Amino acid sequence: MSTIADRLIEDEGLRRGVSRLTPEKIEKVFKELIAGECGARLKTYVESCVRCGMCAKACHYYMSHKDPSYTPVAKVSQTMWRLLAAGGRVEPQVIYECAQVAYTECNLCRRCIHYCPLGIDTGYIISVVRRLCHKLGVTPQYIQDTAHSHSAVLNQMWVKDDEWPDTLQWQEEEAREEFPGLRIPLDVEGADFMYSVIAPEPKFRTQLIYQAAAIFNAAGLNWTMPATPGWDNSNMAMFTGDSEIMSRVERAHYETAQRLRVKRIVMGECGHAFRAVYDVANRWLGWKWHPVPVVHSVEFFWELIQQGRIKITHKYADPVTIHDPCNIIRGRGLMDKLREVTHFLCENVVEMSPNREHNYCCCAGGGVINCGPPFKNVRIVGNSIKAEQLRATGVHTLVAPCHNCHGGLEDIISKFGLGMHTKFLGDLIYELMEKPEAE
Amino acid sequence: MHALYDLAVGPLAWLAFGVFIIGSVYRLLAMRALALRKDGAFVAYVSWPHAFKSLAHWFTPFGALGWRENPGVTIATFIFHICLFLVPLFLMGHIVLFDTFRGWSWPALPDGAADVLAIVVVVICAYFLWRRLSVPEVRFVTSAQDVLVVSLVGLTFLTGVLAYHRIGDNLVLTTLHILSGEAMLVAIPFTRLSHMLFGVFSRGYIASEFGSVRHAKDW
Amino acid sequence: MKRRTTPLALVAFVAALLLALPALSQQDMTTVPDEAFKTRTRPPALFKHDEHNEKAKLDDCTACHHGEKDGKRDPGADTSGIPCSDCHAVEAKPGRTPLMRAFHKQCLGCHMTQKKGPVTCGDCHKPVK
Ligand code: HEM
Ligand code: HEM
Ligand code: SF4
Ligand code: SF4
Repeated sequence: MSTIADRLIEDEGLRRGVSRLTPEKIEKVFKELIAGECGARLKTYVESCVRCGMCAKACHYYMSHKDPSYTPVAKVSQTMWRLLAAGGRVEPQVIYECAQVAYTECNLCRRCIHYCPLGIDTGYIISVVRRLCHKLGVTPQYIQDTAHSHSAVLNQMWVKDDEWPDTLQWQEEEAREEFPGLRIPLDVEGADFMYSVIAPEPKFRTQLIYQAAAIFNAAGLNWTMPATPGWDNSNMAMFTGDSEIMSRVERAHYETAQRLRVKRIVMGECGHAFRAVYDVANRWLGWKWHPVPVVHSVEFFWELIQQGRIKITHKYADPVTIHDPCNIIRGRGLMDKLREVTHFLCENVVEMSPNREHNYCCCAGGGVINCGPPFKNVRIVGNSIKAEQLRATGVHTLVAPCHNCHGGLEDIISKFGLGMHTKFLGDLIYELMEKPEAE
Repeated sequence: MHALYDLAVGPLAWLAFGVFIIGSVYRLLAMRALALRKDGAFVAYVSWPHAFKSLAHWFTPFGALGWRENPGVTIATFIFHICLFLVPLFLMGHIVLFDTFRGWSWPALPDGAADVLAIVVVVICAYFLWRRLSVPEVRFVTSAQDVLVVSLVGLTFLTGVLAYHRIGDNLVLTTLHILSGEAMLVAIPFTRLSHMLFGVFSRGYIASEFGSVRHAKDW
Repeated sequence: MKRRTTPLALVAFVAALLLALPALSQQDMTTVPDEAFKTRTRPPALFKHDEHNEKAKLDDCTACHHGEKDGKRDPGADTSGIPCSDCHAVEAKPGRTPLMRAFHKQCLGCHMTQKKGPVTCGDCHKPVK
């Protein structure tokens, strides 16, 4: 049977990383990691997994490749079990293999938890493998670059400190042509909420900032965006296994909100960022819950609709289908609100199957898409199951309130010729809303 | 053989029960201590109401996505596990030993019914072994220990059935049965069979995370 | 068969009763009498009385046919001829030994201490050949 060793892909970062390793060094770091950071969860999962293979069907990689080395349990067997069995004393090449599995063949989407009768969290085990690889300096080059960026400038895209307010002001100017009184309020202390986005928005999706401003403006909200670092809510360090940088990024994000004394943080339509802020980094920082409440856009739009603050001129007529992003559905249970918002906006919603908590992942998340071109093909071919699922809906518009999902879905749409286009809720709301000052 | 039988049915039986019970309690307590020491940021979210709700789904055949998507294993594993507890606990042959030597007695299953259920367990063990060796995704992750534990369960039930039907030398088979049953009990706290101890907690924990933090179901 | 006589009138009465029973019953018996059980779950235990006692070199009837004193087994009393089920009810009161347990203790218990004789279910509960 083929294994990870039979499909190694050359990556600059991984290759350079392993070239610096020796079995002794790996053993030392592995033992420290297991003794220092791992406890009952890892031990229970590894010991009580009955190797029943029931989780196989959970994973889109397996369902697409139909290769037994892509099942959740096989990913664990090729990484963590192997390391544990050897007490961490392995050849550097093994770390290359572990890194490729952990960074590029698992999206940490947690779908397999719905399949494993023992509730084994494969995503967690894979995160531990990533943590090891990070500590050993074996990370894919592309994603490591984003982690470096987080470390240097506290955002993912090397956006410089002055570039950020410039971009916001540029978007404000543009939007004022359409909505004369519109502001993108910078650093307003005591605003109702701080709106945070991921760094790719100012870098190459400025339209999304424009739209958000238009929506908040139309709704007459008291909001602000920070002028200082801490505005980026994305967190690739979480996915490289660099918990230290991860928590620095999140601390800056929370502290920015605290400095502005806002009531809460509203996060743009991104899933992984929400996971980092809501579920992961707070724990590393020692907070059980959040020092400032955090709300994802889906929930925020839902509230605005409930309050009658979003008015639309008409409904979107073409049938749409909904993609449930892992990190806000299995990660936050927003499936009902996502549907209510979509039904509010669209005439005709065709559900894909399976959906809600059982939805297949886009195969971009978990940092996989951020590992860049070398691994692109595996992830696209590795999601033919999603392509089939999309095709079966027969619709041409796909609502997906997550950046990563957009990336992953657009790739499979073009690869499999599905003839669909993806939309954020913000895209739809902006397109359909009553535009107050647009006379 | 007589002496071995005496040993197996007497001292070894107590030893096996002792190791099983004390070993299980020890492992549970040690794991709890480890969780409190090292997994504080996760134990903090444990929520029993969510855990119980999820466990109710997972203890229902086809009550969770994983069960529905693996119907063959689901049917097999539910019957297997129910019989695994039902047959030995309510088996006349077992109760008689307690009754004779300890004076403890409780209602037994009719011998015929217990026999059928025991044979079913043997058949399911054979099915599990077959899966291990021929279903690619299962074979990929199968180790010697996995084959061993299913075989141990299968052997215990098989020798029990043979003894009941008086196939082969009864003393030899009964002794073999008792020894393999004892080996199985001893194996529970220290092998993969420890899923019996930890399974509800690992599910209960993740159900808590899903329920109280992520507000999503995990079944 | 040798029998120890006792002065007790009660025992004389029992002996008289015994004589009234078919004289050949012990030589003929092939199984432990199980008539008292309303339902039978296994074939009656194989037991050829005289052959067993010869093999086991058992002369003393009270080794099995014991009496009872203060709720305890009384090896002094010879109860030969009284059906076991007269004292050991199938459904015994608390503190009493029910019939099945009595049989099992009697046979299995002795076989275990003597390290001789059948001890498994199937070596006793089997059809008479
Ligand atoms: C302490 C250890 C054990 C002892 C002393 C013991 C003893 C016995 C005895 C005396 C029998 C009677 C056989 C007959 O009816 O002829 C028996 C049957 C049986 N035992 Fe055990 N046993 C032990 C452990 C187990 C365990 C752990 C299991 C299963 C989990 C098990 C399953 C069975 C089965 C399936 C039968 C046969 C049922 C039938 O076909 O009627 N035993 N055992
Ligand atoms: C509360 C107790 C238990 C629970 C909830 C439980 C649950 C499970 C589950 C969910 C599986 C996976 C499905 C499958 O492969 O069949 C499994 C497998 C298994 N269980 Fe248990 N189990 C329990 C107790 C036991 C005990 C006491 C034994 C044996 C002594 C046992 C033996 C096995 C074996 C051998 C397998 C693997 C079957 C295979 O090879 O695929 N289980 N158990
Ligand atoms: S990609 Fe998702 S389903 Fe597959 S192993 Fe990773 S977490 Fe599980
Ligand atoms: S479903 Fe769970 S227990 Fe079964 S092989 Fe997968 S991880 Fe292991």
